[in-house]
Amino acid sequence: MSGDANPLSAVLDARDVARSFGDKQVLSGVDLQVGAGRVSALLGPNGAGKTTFLRILTGLLLAERGQVLVAGIDVGQDPMAARRHIGFFPSADRTFYLRLSGLENLAFFGRMYGIRRQEALARARRRLADVGLSDAVDQRVGTYSHGMQKRLSMARALLMDPPVLVIDEATDGLDPEGARRVQDLTRTIAGDGTAVIWTTQRLDEIRGFADAVTVLDRGRTTFQGTVEDLMLKSSARGYLLRLRLGEAMLDDGAVQRAGAALGDRGTLQRVGADREHFRLDLAQHAVLGEVLADISATGAVVLDCAQQRSELEESFLRLTTARV
Amino acid sequence: MTRARSGVLAEASKLGAFLRRDFLVRLSYRTALISDWINLFAQALVFSFVSKLVHPIHLAGVGRTTYIAYVTVGIAVAGFMALGLARLVSAIQQEQLLGTLESLMVTPTTASVVLLGSVVYDMIYVPIRTVVFLIIVSIVFNVSFAASGYVPAILILATFIPFVWGLGSIASASILTYRRGSGQIGLVTFALTFTSGAYFPLALFPSWVASLARLNPIAIAITGMRAQLIGDAGWHDALVTMAKLVPFSAITLLLGLYAFRLAMRRERRLGTLGLY
Repeated sequence: MSGDANPLSAVLDARDVARSFGDKQVLSGVDLQVGAGRVSALLGPNGAGKTTFLRILTGLLLAERGQVLVAGIDVGQDPMAARRHIGFFPSADRTFYLRLSGLENLAFFGRMYGIRRQEALARARRRLADVGLSDAVDQRVGTYSHGMQKRLSMARALLMDPPVLVIDEATDGLDPEGARRVQDLTRTIAGDGTAVIWTTQRLDEIRGFADAVTVLDRGRTTFQGTVEDLMLKSSARGYLLRLRLGEAMLDDGAVQRAGAALGDRGTLQRVGADREHFRLDLAQHAVLGEVLADISATGAVVLDCAQQRSELEESFLRLTTARV
Repeated sequence: MTRARSGVLAEASKLGAFLRRDFLVRLSYRTALISDWINLFAQALVFSFVSKLVHPIHLAGVGRTTYIAYVTVGIAVAGFMALGLARLVSAIQQEQLLGTLESLMVTPTTASVVLLGSVVYDMIYVPIRTVVFLIIVSIVFNVSFAASGYVPAILILATFIPFVWGLGSIASASILTYRRGSGQIGLVTFALTFTSGAYFPLALFPSWVASLARLNPIAIAITGMRAQLIGDAGWHDALVTMAKLVPFSAITLLLGLYAFRLAMRRERRLGTLGLY
């Protein structure tokens, strides 16, 4: 598995990255390549090794095996030089000096990259405007809302126009509007040529957003490809049906007839105690409309049909050990 | 200019950013700033009353002086030591608690600059506080310090400062590694300060304490500064005191920086830097 980019042109190139803590193997030979202008999503349940992997990418943690190149620089060999090329958006809430203003915070972090104060201030103002915080530049960060702090994190990650942007659960705790805003900004940045690694547990947000997906489970890569490829990994789709037989409930015979009408296209099972709700699991080749028509032909009336999990979610669950 | 030298200068230039950051943060806690000065003067006020009970005969060997003059130098240096050490230790702890240490460590900034930067404000503020304290006490409590002794006393203090930085760095490294240890550090500081003659003449202690005090840098600094401010010592004595302090300061500072680097490397290897 090699990721979404040609290794020769990858701005971020991680190969065979392994790491353990004591007896616990947290990462076992993870590969990831991300090219300029690409958004690569990193998915995995809690404990999959995502954060450990990001910490190795940013040089906060040493890998026991493997190599990470950022803009051609080996992070393990020269972390200081590599960090000049990485913008990091941490998942933690409190990563700023709460008694200082947003502008002073960004200017301080800018100076940690060795630029002069005037330039740091100019960059900070520009980035604060980019994330929609122009009105809060002089406000203490301690008074910022959760969403504002997330946007400030994004502004800091972008401060030095890094070729690689590492984003750890940026939309965690944000309302849909805030999450969309951060995603739009990320897409714009990627459009300008930045390679983005985006970790998330919100599966649906990567649809139409990420160019490539890597799924980690217990420190191993269980999938690498496009979002569409990931969706195709779904073997079955689950739906919740509300069925009746005219005014009455379906008796056992009617349920058997409806189930038989499915053939090898799926299964129908009664759920709950009200005798009205059923779970329909469809195989990959089944067409929902045809299946519903065939169930109706047995005399059952389909009152409602709701998808229980998206294909993305089904694929994710198949590829990981997590279950809901 | 070589590349290495320009790299060192670029790193050093970041200290100004730390200085500004901590100045603004401290300024935002005005009450704490005022309380610090009130506490310092309250301590001096208490000792000014105690001074009335202590006959100068007990201060033999220091020169013709009063207890308030004697103890003020002790308070100044002991306070410098305690505050400097506490701030050095808490600086890194604070960064960990705030969650900002990892944010700093993902920037291209060396561990040594992060440590120095975290304490640079106090490295400047605490010595200034000490000197200002001595001047104000001499005016308010009518304590006469030898005017010619100020400059050599300040130079002795300057030679003593790296010892405090080094000790603070060792303590920081210990806190970074074990997440605990403030109590033990406080105990060591108390033992060093108490047996330094800061508050009582060393002659009042058992003879073995007085012997050990010759190896105690705080005792060396306090005795040297007292000799300059309330004794009859001259430049030669100041140079002898500084010569005694230099090895302590140099070794402790080098050990401190080395210990801190080791602690940071360990944290990076274990991946526990941001945890507290």
